[in-house]
Amino acid sequence: MTDASAGEVPRSAHAERSRTAAAIDRGRQAQPSGWWGMVLFLCSEVTLFGTLIGSYFYLNFGAHQWPPPPIKPPEIAGPTVATAVLVGTVPLMALGAAAARRGLRWSAVAWIAAAFVIQILYLAAQVLLIRHDLRTFTPQGNAYGSIYFTLLFAHHAHVLLGLLLNAVVLYKVARHGLTNYWLIGARGLALYWYVVAALAVAVLFTILSPSL
Amino acid sequence: MATVVSPRARRYVEELDRLWEERPGVLGWLTTTDHKRIGILYFFTTLVFFGAGGVEALLIRSQLIGPNGHVLGPQAYDEVFTMHGITMIFLFVIPMTTGAFGNYLIPLMIGARDMAFPRLNALSYWIFLGSGVFMYVSLLQGHAPNAGWFDYVPLASKQFDPGNNIDYYGYGLIFNGISSTIASINFIVTIFKLRAPGMSINRMPLFCFAFLAVAFALLFALPSLSVAALFLELDRQLGFHFYDAAFGGAPLLWQNLFWIFGHPEVYIIILPAFGIATSIIPAFVHRRMVFFPLVALAEILVAFLGFGVWVHHMFTVGFSTLTTVYFAAASLIIVIPSAIQLFAWITTIVTGTPDFQTPLLFIIGFIVYFIIGGLSGITVAAIPFDQQVHDSYYIIAHFHFVIFGAAVFPILGGMYFWFPKVTGRVYHELTGKVSFWLTFAGTFITFFPMHIVGILGMPRRNYTYPAHMGWTLLNFIESIGSYLLAAGLILIVVNLAYSFFRGPQKEPPFEGDTLEWATSSPPPPYNFAVIPTVRSPYPMWDKEDRERDNKRLEAGEGLLNLGHETPATTAEDARLDEILTMPSHSPWPPLTALALTGMFVMLVMAHYWIAAGFLALVGLTVLGWHQNEEQA
Repeated sequence: MTDASAGEVPRSAHAERSRTAAAIDRGRQAQPSGWWGMVLFLCSEVTLFGTLIGSYFYLNFGAHQWPPPPIKPPEIAGPTVATAVLVGTVPLMALGAAAARRGLRWSAVAWIAAAFVIQILYLAAQVLLIRHDLRTFTPQGNAYGSIYFTLLFAHHAHVLLGLLLNAVVLYKVARHGLTNYWLIGARGLALYWYVVAALAVAVLFTILSPSL
Repeated sequence: MATVVSPRARRYVEELDRLWEERPGVLGWLTTTDHKRIGILYFFTTLVFFGAGGVEALLIRSQLIGPNGHVLGPQAYDEVFTMHGITMIFLFVIPMTTGAFGNYLIPLMIGARDMAFPRLNALSYWIFLGSGVFMYVSLLQGHAPNAGWFDYVPLASKQFDPGNNIDYYGYGLIFNGISSTIASINFIVTIFKLRAPGMSINRMPLFCFAFLAVAFALLFALPSLSVAALFLELDRQLGFHFYDAAFGGAPLLWQNLFWIFGHPEVYIIILPAFGIATSIIPAFVHRRMVFFPLVALAEILVAFLGFGVWVHHMFTVGFSTLTTVYFAAASLIIVIPSAIQLFAWITTIVTGTPDFQTPLLFIIGFIVYFIIGGLSGITVAAIPFDQQVHDSYYIIAHFHFVIFGAAVFPILGGMYFWFPKVTGRVYHELTGKVSFWLTFAGTFITFFPMHIVGILGMPRRNYTYPAHMGWTLLNFIESIGSYLLAAGLILIVVNLAYSFFRGPQKEPPFEGDTLEWATSSPPPPYNFAVIPTVRSPYPMWDKEDRERDNKRLEAGEGLLNLGHETPATTAEDARLDEILTMPSHSPWPPLTALALTGMFVMLVMAHYWIAAGFLALVGLTVLGWHQNEEQA
């Protein structure tokens, strides 16, 4: 892990076992590059969703009626329950990341896998809710439909990307163990889901705003 | 540079040479992750696009050299001026500054061996290339974007622009934005994490401060453009109604979203120029920059304030007086950080002992034109005056003094300044000075009369004008100026190309203050045999530190020679934290970019399922990317 030229500074890429990777993670004075990369990527994502939500209210404030008739204000119960379920996966992801940081490979896999299952169910429920909405109005009908469905589709694409990331991290950690690379990956993944959950709440309040 | 004296040190260096050896030939360039090679790829690619944008500019000026011109028809003129704007902003200035200068220089300046994410760095280049080719294919097809670089709806809607010209614009900018977003994340992490031990934030070169500000501005500005373009394509291709007033949409939504991106974009364009100026000035006036902390803060502040002024592009759309006055005031506030930098450059030059070599001449030209462009900028922050000259040639004059005079002149000066570093050769000084005066005079003669012709009422974007308007002589002068300007630019290219093959191989005739000068010219693939340590913002002028580097090389300390290694440090104080192993060659970045290009081509052609197939291919290439996990 160390040599004369580097003194006692660890060579993190050489950490190929869970315990050594965890020890390096604990010994860091500052966050690793991968963590920073994920934070900055999420800054970009939050700005993107902020722009979508801002556009929603820009169109809303310029409209005489919102939603325009005959579209009815959205129902509150279904989307709220679904969002609450998604937010409920945040502690699971946090536990997964914490287990990874302690070098507990299978514990990390178990927590992330539990979250993964719930997140899949969330997306499936959202698909059903959207199908229901599409039976009453479409994105092509008016600007309300356009921004409503675009906002939801963008959020669902975000969730889908998270599911794909989950699958990759789970596979890699289960098969190859918690190397330094995938330990940082698991931490980044948890960050990603924290932000997805926060954005889900923001999207929920936005689309439910006519009913509140 | 670290001098190799003893056989022991030579053995160390040979070991590093072997570890970091680049693949030869075309395959080496295709799969490289070396930031310097990627910087060079960016440089030549953007230079080609600069040439294309320049030819478009000359076509515009040739069309307008006299009344009732016939060089271009109205449709071709629309495409040419639109592509000129898109090219110069998205395919030349930004990728030239961040892609070429930033990539090549930032790791060297901070004492690192590569960028934080070398494969992502390669990916951002290949995506940039794909997006540029994507947009230029439209011109070859005769379907180039044709609604101006800011592409206002409803002119750009399907109803009034039914071809796929605008689709190339919408998808092209989303595509290009992916590259810039990746690059900005990479720059920020590189600057935060890979600075040499001892290079705390307050010791970081001003060049890096400028690029840090640019990277943050890009990160937060680009989503607005991407969302605007996404809405545009959803409207055009799938019949959505974001911008369609008849269905509850809002055409002004486009303008707001575009300029929320578009005004920070102005500072994204010009901040690297500020960074280049702060590198060149100390080297030629032989003294440190005055007001270093203030200049650093001003660079960051300009980028921040740039997000609060976008409505000054929209003073004529009918916003309330309160709104327009707020944005006029906000626009004037930007004068403060800009003036701080301006006075710092001038004071540093005046209180130093200036050696007026070519790079410094270009910086002085930049200062002169920044003042002219800045002053005309203050005039258009005055709402009644702006409403009078809106969409006239006065605006063209203003932003060309800012974007060409102020942003491109430092690029040209920087090309001369770092030419000896990149090539190991020295350019021809007299030819350099002649090229400066040609470019300087050409810029003034081309753009200054546009102020007058604009006040006289000549609107921008008209493909011709009648003889009796009183604009003929001024337009003639502008066009002659543009030919002079082209001659100056060609002379720069000829000088550098000739010097690359025939220029004398010797040390540059100036003394740079930052770490890129601490290594050989051109630098080896690993940049530094010994990772330097830093104790001031002018590490090359700390002679004893650099001598210590030599001693450490002799002793074999700080070599990091177990692989592609570079140190990671803490973000604020730059304390050594860990040793990273960086990737070497990878075929995945160009393959990912290729699949992404396929996806965007299919989207323009409205083959959505095939586009989805290409997106799946993108996913597969990313999986392939991660098979080699030890290379973080």
